[in-house]
Amino acid sequence: MTQGELLLFASAVLFGSVVAGFRWPRAWLMFVVCGAITAMAAAMWTLQGSSWEWQSTFMLGGQPLHFRLDSVSAWFLMLVAVMGGAGAIYSHEYWSDDHYPDSAPKGRVWWSLFLTCMGLVLTVSNGLHFLITWELFAVCGYFLITLDRQRGETRAAGWLYLAASHAGTMCLFAFFALLASHNNGSWELGPMRERTGLAPLFWLALFGFGVKAGFFPLHIWLPSAHANAPSHVSAIMSGVAIKMGIYGIVRFSGWLPVPTAAPWVIMGLGTVSALFGIAFAFVQNDFKRLLAYCSVENIGIIMIGIGVALLAATHGDAAWGRLALAGALLHVWNHGAFKSLLFFCAGSVLHATHTREMSRLGGLLRTMPWTAGLFALGSLAVAGLPPLNGFVSEWLIYLGLFDAAAGREPIAWFSIPAIILAMSGAIAVASFAKAVAITFLGRPRTSTAAHSVECGIWMRGPMLALACICLAIGLAPNLFCPIMSEVVAEWRPGQEDIQALAPIATLGAAQMTLALLILAATALLWRQTCRKDLRHGRTWDCGYALPTARMQYTSASFSGIAANWLRRLFLPERKLRRPRSIFPTEAVYMEHFQDAVLERLISPAAAAVQQLYSAARRLQHGRLQFYILYVLAGVAGLGILVMIGGGQ
Amino acid sequence: MMIIANLILRLTFWLLLAPLLPGVINKVKAWVAGRRGPPVLQLYYDLAKLWRKGVVMSDLASPGFIIGPAVAWVALLSSALLMPLGPAGSVLSFRGDVLLLIYLLALARFSLAWAAMETGSAFEGMGTAREVSYAVLGETAIITAVLALIVHSGSVSLITILSPAAGAGVALLAAGLFIVLLAENCRVPFDDPSTHLELTMVHEVMILDHSGPPLAVILHGASIKLLLFTMLLVQVVLPVGEMSPFIATGALAAGVVLVTVGVGLVESLLARLAFRRVPLLLTVAFLLCLFALLVVWKGRG
Repeated sequence: MTQGELLLFASAVLFGSVVAGFRWPRAWLMFVVCGAITAMAAAMWTLQGSSWEWQSTFMLGGQPLHFRLDSVSAWFLMLVAVMGGAGAIYSHEYWSDDHYPDSAPKGRVWWSLFLTCMGLVLTVSNGLHFLITWELFAVCGYFLITLDRQRGETRAAGWLYLAASHAGTMCLFAFFALLASHNNGSWELGPMRERTGLAPLFWLALFGFGVKAGFFPLHIWLPSAHANAPSHVSAIMSGVAIKMGIYGIVRFSGWLPVPTAAPWVIMGLGTVSALFGIAFAFVQNDFKRLLAYCSVENIGIIMIGIGVALLAATHGDAAWGRLALAGALLHVWNHGAFKSLLFFCAGSVLHATHTREMSRLGGLLRTMPWTAGLFALGSLAVAGLPPLNGFVSEWLIYLGLFDAAAGREPIAWFSIPAIILAMSGAIAVASFAKAVAITFLGRPRTSTAAHSVECGIWMRGPMLALACICLAIGLAPNLFCPIMSEVVAEWRPGQEDIQALAPIATLGAAQMTLALLILAATALLWRQTCRKDLRHGRTWDCGYALPTARMQYTSASFSGIAANWLRRLFLPERKLRRPRSIFPTEAVYMEHFQDAVLERLISPAAAAVQQLYSAARRLQHGRLQFYILYVLAGVAGLGILVMIGGGQ
Repeated sequence: MMIIANLILRLTFWLLLAPLLPGVINKVKAWVAGRRGPPVLQLYYDLAKLWRKGVVMSDLASPGFIIGPAVAWVALLSSALLMPLGPAGSVLSFRGDVLLLIYLLALARFSLAWAAMETGSAFEGMGTAREVSYAVLGETAIITAVLALIVHSGSVSLITILSPAAGAGVALLAAGLFIVLLAENCRVPFDDPSTHLELTMVHEVMILDHSGPPLAVILHGASIKLLLFTMLLVQVVLPVGEMSPFIATGALAAGVVLVTVGVGLVESLLARLAFRRVPLLLTVAFLLCLFALLVVWKGRG
């Protein structure tokens, strides 16, 4: 048996699940999980160091079928398989036939197709087929986002996604077509690093894949799409689908020559995304939007890693570049795991309370302890705190940056992103302290929050599995070192072993010790606290006897200080009517942080274009006489043209 | 065997010596004000008493109310163990350990924020929001200082970046780190540890509802953090690696005392800043560290 047979089996099972999805949810679930496990096995096999390639004489669209699974694509395939399986199990309860009789079967079918298309994107090795599968993958994403089509917000988010996605695809069309024309009409893909003439094409790829990856300022579709999609879809979109963009950038920066400016541009974009993404996340009041903006930050962190790696590649394959690339790749997995976990938890809250406004929640820890605990774990991981996995990958990227700074080279000053990375890390801590505190701690602010119920076992299971992944990568990062080195070596051939470059085993031991110390100290303090008389009383609100739930700090007040610093940048929509006169009547204060790029840049531009077209539309008014006049004028014009042209 | 003895000595140093610093600061403040003040060992008495006391927990609080302080204490103690002690070196040193130290401080912040928000009190929310927001600038300043040291020493582990003299930018670095020390350890002019007006506090207001052993753990953790920052500042300024062990130990001790007295003097002579000025001062700290970084780059040529 080879990887090829495993993949064939996986795709057959997934096609079976497409059929089963219409009618039989349990059979569908079985098929999808089965397919995911098989794909995982194939990916794992490939990551051990044996890549697989299969070329057929069968033509599709005039091109022979060509599949390839090397360790770079296997790394991403692993992510697709794990999150695809976990999301399928989650959706069995979250988007069940009982709750959504209309859209649940559709959701299942699109889910299977979505996973299949992502798998195909990762394995095809022909430009034309890549474009076809890429487009199918984007369209499946659209139908998944708009499963709940009743809400106008969702439809708008879906359209925005589709429009942005196609803007990206257009660039990819140009990219692959130009690539083919440079290759004498062959659409075959593969390493062609020595052909320096291809370098300018990289910009097209960067834009095309960048829209999907959603780095700043191409992220405009991302917050609304991730916030309005059903939570299992948000999880796979945020955890996996945007990584397809990263896959494209990693893949083609490894295969093609890159322009000299590209590393700097990628690093700059990454830095800007990291800072702005998390700053926008901090001021959100809707927890799914907060998570969505946080994805922009994480994509930025990954991009910084890739940029450093590219820069190192142009400077004699310095070791620090490999460290940063390893960090970026590990962050792809890590972000997939903890962001999916957080979106699953968000879905569980949404399922129980039907609101995404943090300021309508609170105190959910009592009614939903599992969700709260797992959300806390995910928050620690996403904020990059030890001893979890987020820290390991950020540490690798930092180490790459620091090593570059320590090396006595003139390009060392590009280690400036390290400062921004630290800043965005601190804002991430603040954002997730806020998300956890306002949603899960304190007193319930509304009765729906007070009467929420914990999610069932089907939703809890995948959440626990993802939490275990976060813990495993955090506590034993050295286990993942060999495969990481494999992928880094595949990207651009080289011999380095990541373990030799970074003391990752020591870090793992330190994280493990830290985890054990935390357990021990907690047990000790717990015993000491409970041994003496433990009394319960009302929260000491500075002597105030009747504190109400509405008097707690809200989400907007929590981020108020930072929002004030960044007001110039965010340009929030504000409405303020102060209380006036001795008997004040009505006072209003409203502040809304919309997406600055979308609302201040893209929307006005789109409106201008629309205005232009609406001017042209005046010609089309439905009066027949005028239409006949247009035809006559057209014919006359053509006649004149022919007369002048001299009848050749 | 040696490692275990080393570890035990180090733990004793950090656990036993840390609560001395707040006592010294209070003595200095009392001396400037012409009072006798509390004994230097006052915090030890307080801690012993709190450890034996019972706990009143808010109705709203969950076990996280107690787990939070425990996690924060472990995080602070672990980061202290990573910090080298002059000639004694450090118990665990590896490439990139400085990042672990900085992120452990962030972990402590997160878990204390969690514990504070457990009670659903608006005052604690206020304090937490301030704490996490100001930390953004503080952490940025620290990493900039670290980057300056890394560029200067050409290495990325704490023990080697702290041992040589910090070069031309040392005064800038020292000033920047001193400001961060004041901010991170809730001293005047950022926060007043002796105030009783909840509306104007940062750290103190976060622990309003804690009592008994959890409060003891929080206070002890805070004193470890103060000693940690003092140690960092002193070792950045002094070239401890270039002195003989005997002199280095003496210099280190003198430096710690000097910084502590300095904190006490600042506390006696300065008033608190208005809240809207706090970010400005922290930005100044960041800029000082950034200029130090530029000086190092320039000096390297």
